[in-house]
Amino acid sequence: MLGLDPRRTHLYDYHKAHGKLVEFAGFEMPVWFEGVIPEHHAVRNGVGVFDVSHMGRTIVEGPDAERFMNHMITNDVSALDPMSALYTVMCNPRGGIVDDFITYRLSGDRFLVIFNASNREKDFNWFQGHVKGFKVKLRDISDEVAMISVQGPRSPETLQKLCTGVVTDFGRFRLTRTKLCGFDAMAARTGYTGEDGFELFILDCPLNEPEKALTVWDDLLGAGKGFGIRPCGLGARDSLRLEAGLSLYGNDIDDDINPIEAKLKWVVKLKKSSDFIGKAALLKVVEEGVKRGRVGIMMEDRGIPRHGYEIWDGDKKIGILTSGGYSPTLDVGIALGYVPPEYEELGTPVGVKIRERLAKGKVVKSHPFYDESKYGWKREKG
Amino acid sequence: MSEEYKIPDGISYTKDHEWAKRLPDGNVLIGVSDYAQKQLHEIVYVELPDLGKEVGQAASLGSVESVKAVSDVFAPVSGKVVEVNEALLDSPELINQDPYGKGWVARIRPSRLDADLKGLMDARAYRKHVAEQKH
Repeated sequence: MLGLDPRRTHLYDYHKAHGKLVEFAGFEMPVWFEGVIPEHHAVRNGVGVFDVSHMGRTIVEGPDAERFMNHMITNDVSALDPMSALYTVMCNPRGGIVDDFITYRLSGDRFLVIFNASNREKDFNWFQGHVKGFKVKLRDISDEVAMISVQGPRSPETLQKLCTGVVTDFGRFRLTRTKLCGFDAMAARTGYTGEDGFELFILDCPLNEPEKALTVWDDLLGAGKGFGIRPCGLGARDSLRLEAGLSLYGNDIDDDINPIEAKLKWVVKLKKSSDFIGKAALLKVVEEGVKRGRVGIMMEDRGIPRHGYEIWDGDKKIGILTSGGYSPTLDVGIALGYVPPEYEELGTPVGVKIRERLAKGKVVKSHPFYDESKYGWKREKG
Repeated sequence: MSEEYKIPDGISYTKDHEWAKRLPDGNVLIGVSDYAQKQLHEIVYVELPDLGKEVGQAASLGSVESVKAVSDVFAPVSGKVVEVNEALLDSPELINQDPYGKGWVARIRPSRLDADLKGLMDARAYRKHVAEQKH
C-alpha cells in the first residue's frame, strides 16, 4: 500500500497478543487465533466473535437520503422501516457490481451503510461523486464507531448477558439500540456466516481510545465461555461465508460481473419507482439473458478447489472458480464459480483442474452448501 | 527463533523444508519439517506421489495443502517411490501432529544418494536456515 504502514482497528492490541496477523485490505488483521477449523466449528455449533472494524461505516443523512440511496443501489429502501436493514449491491452504468453491502435505515432520513474493507475509499468516493442534486450529507464514521460481530446459534444468549433490555426478541435484519457493557451501542441481527448472530456497533469509540471496544470483546469472550466461544479470524470468516454461499467482493463479484450472473437478481428491483445507476444495462441483461452464471461446486474426488482454478467439461474449459476451499462442516472441498448456463443444473458433473490433474466435482445447491435443517439460522432448534 | 521448531539431529533437510532420513534397509524416508507444518498450519489435504514414480532431486513429489495455502513437496533425493503414507489421505493432520514420525510422506529407493546428500543440510545448518526465514 504505497509503503504506508498497515492500518489497525480498535482491537489491534488483542490481535497482536493472541492472533496470527496478516495484511488484508490494508489492515493488519488476525487470520486466526487458534486455528481456522476450531474457530469455524465454534461458530457453526456454538458462538464466535469477529473483529469487523476494518469495514467502512458511512452515514447518509438529509431530506433526500431515501431518494439518494435508491438512486445508488439496486434494492429498494422505500418500504424499509426504521431500524431495519437490507442486503443490496450497487452497480456501475455497465451493470457491474461496485460493491455489495448491508444498509440500515436508522430513521426516515438517515441510513448507515457498511462497505467492504477493500472498498472503503472507492465506495465513499463513488457515493460522494453522486450527491449532486440530492440534499444529503455523507459522513465516514468508521474511526468513531467500533464494530464487532458475534455469530453462532448461542450468540443470542451470549449477547443478552451484556445488554440492558432484551436484544433477542427481534428478527433477522432488524436493529436495536442498547447499552452493551454499559456503553451506548446498536445491535443488528445480521452477519456473514449463515448463522444467527449480531453485528454490534459500539458508539463514540474513537480509534485512538479503543477501551470500550476492548472491554466489549473481553466481556463477550467471558459471557460465551459456557458455549465454547472463540475469538475468530479472517480465515474462519471466509470458510463460514463460503459454506453459506455468500459472495466475497473481489473474488465472486466485481466491477465486471453483474448481479444477474451472480445470482443476486433478488436484490435488483427493476420495478422500483426510481431510476438507479446501472438499471438500463441490467434491463438489457435480463432481456438478452446471461452468458455465464454463478454455481456452487462440490468435489467428489479428493482435493481442495481454490480461487482461480479452471472448470472443465471433458477436454473443454468452461469456466473459472472465484472462491474455493475446504469446508470444515462438510469435510469436503467446495467452491463458487462461473459457468455457461447449460452447466448450471444441479448435479451436472464438472472437472476442476487442481494443479495438473482434473478432479471430479458436481454442481450443487450453494446458498448455502450445508443442510439448512441442521446448520445455519433456519436450523431446527433442538 | 529456531527453538520454536523441532529440528532433530541425524537427518538431512532441504532449503524448501523437507527432511530425509536414511533407513537401515538403504531406503530414504522423507517428509516435511516442523517449520513447514507450522507455517502451513492446519493441513487438510495431502497429494501423494504414485508408487513406482521415478523422481530427480528437487522434483515435485506431491503437495500438502492447509486451509489457506498449497505447498509442493519436493524430493530431497533422487530415486523411485517405493511406499507412500496412505494414512495421510484420511488423516492429513498427522503431519501437524508428528511431522518426523507418523506424518512421513514417502519412502524412496535412492539412485544417487551420496551425491544428493551433498546438496542437503544437516540439523545445525538447517536451524540457521530457519532462523533466517522472514515471518
